[in-house]
Amino acid sequence: MTITVSASGLSLHYGRTRALDEVGLRLSPGVTGLLGPNGAGKTTLLRVLATAVPADRGAFTVLGHDPGTVRGRQEVRRRLGYLPQTPGFHPDFTAFAFVDYVAVLKELTDRRARHREVRRVLEEVGLGDVRGRRIKKLSGGMRQRVALAAALVGDPGFLVLDEPTVGLDPEQRMRFRELIAGAGEGRTVLLSTHQTEDVAMLCRRVLVMAAGSVRFDGTPAELTARAAGRVWRSDRRDAGAKAGWRTGTGEFRQVGDPPEGAELVEPTLEDGYLLVLDGAVDAEVAA
Amino acid sequence: MTGHGDWHVPDDDLRAYARGTLAPPALWSADAHLAACARCRAGLAEAAGPVDVDAGWLRLDAELDAPRAGWCEGLLVRLGVPDHVARLLTATPVLRRSWLGAVAAVLAMSVAAVLTTGAPDGSPTLFLALAPLLPLAGVALSYGPAMDPTYEIAVVAPLHGFRLLMIRTVAVLAVGIGLNGLATLALPAYGLRALAWLLPALALTGAGLALTPRLGPVAAPAAVGGGWIALLLAAEAAREPGGGPLAPFTAAGQGVCAGVAVAAAGVLFLVRDRFDRSPSAH
Repeated sequence: MTITVSASGLSLHYGRTRALDEVGLRLSPGVTGLLGPNGAGKTTLLRVLATAVPADRGAFTVLGHDPGTVRGRQEVRRRLGYLPQTPGFHPDFTAFAFVDYVAVLKELTDRRARHREVRRVLEEVGLGDVRGRRIKKLSGGMRQRVALAAALVGDPGFLVLDEPTVGLDPEQRMRFRELIAGAGEGRTVLLSTHQTEDVAMLCRRVLVMAAGSVRFDGTPAELTARAAGRVWRSDRRDAGAKAGWRTGTGEFRQVGDPPEGAELVEPTLEDGYLLVLDGAVDAEVAA
Repeated sequence: MTGHGDWHVPDDDLRAYARGTLAPPALWSADAHLAACARCRAGLAEAAGPVDVDAGWLRLDAELDAPRAGWCEGLLVRLGVPDHVARLLTATPVLRRSWLGAVAAVLAMSVAAVLTTGAPDGSPTLFLALAPLLPLAGVALSYGPAMDPTYEIAVVAPLHGFRLLMIRTVAVLAVGIGLNGLATLALPAYGLRALAWLLPALALTGAGLALTPRLGPVAAPAAVGGGWIALLLAAEAAREPGGGPLAPFTAAGQGVCAGVAVAAAGVLFLVRDRFDRSPSAH
């Protein structure tokens, strides 16, 4: 498998907070999911890989280029599509004008070629019909697709998507997943998300982060397998449970160390995720 | 605990679910329950609001043609600015009517104050003190994560951050100096003395930009603006009664301003690559 993005020893401190702690990874073409609770360092890692902020220590390469040098950074940026966690817009711009502006930032100076590219990416995300609408009049899901279109300008080889499905309703989320799956054909996509569903449906690989470091790196099936024999059902919250939640029948589904004679059930991706985090998600929700 | 059959998703969770902000594992509880409970689904529809309906209407009355350039962009292109540069300039937050209106109002008030109170020292001091601050503020507000909503996208674009900064700075300076110049025309009695704001304006703007990589895009221009005001107050305190214009507006003061402007331009050139990364952690 071709390695397109590789990093080793990436560390970054904000004051006394360790946002990234010796992160290493190797990405290949296709969609890789980045799971983790809030504050795990997902956004920081994506911003470092997108060359928005430099790491304190460590190095990485993107498609053979080293962003540690001015020249290498520019080469990386020419191959990069980035959808930030909260993409900003000029609200008075139309969808077309905004994507056109980003296309200028991406060095497309020839007007005709640039406008052709803007139309292509807006069609690709299904917004061809509303390209003349002002962004402030678009729904949240449509704005998110405008931001994705901007990221896709210039057919980047490395696409960095920071929680693109947050704030979307289930139908929009589904539509967005289809777009990401399409974008992942032939490109390296790193997708950060809270949703294990996104990972289950889209990703050939998944990284789980917590407290600034990578806790798991493997396939979704391998993450699920982490929970084999450690998921059970019962009427009450058991002491050995690292996390538990109520199912549709009102019973508790729990992961951790099952009590004697517990009714074990088939593990899912989120069970594996919770176990890798050692219940940290639960603690966060309770906080 | 609550029994199997009579549990429903709490209202707060339902609202968070509709906003897409409900976190696991409460999210999974809600997901599983909503599939089986019509009452909670109805509650969810209420919490979700009419956004989806609006989206349908938007699609119906959408404009199909590629957008026409706005008045500002059209004017720039007619003036010979390449169309891609015009697009970069129209995305500059301060080149908007609200900002231009505010600058014009400040200038008009300072000119009016000078005209009504007169200037015993032969120099329109209030106007000269204020005018250099406007280009400084304009340039500061045209760049940086706090002011430019698309900053995060712009900073990782292959177009060099310093080039974008210079394109915007030149445009904002041109507009700011043009407005200041118009205001100067309203003070013909002072002759060339009313132009003594120009070199301080270049010095302040240059110093603000040169300090940005070290102090950040908010603190640097604030420090420079504060320094300018402190300098004027000190000059006022040191001035002998009826002793002519304040030190920065004398020939020697103007020479120092020119020196600062040139030095700032040199420093700015040396630190140009520092504008290539986000200055703040978040």
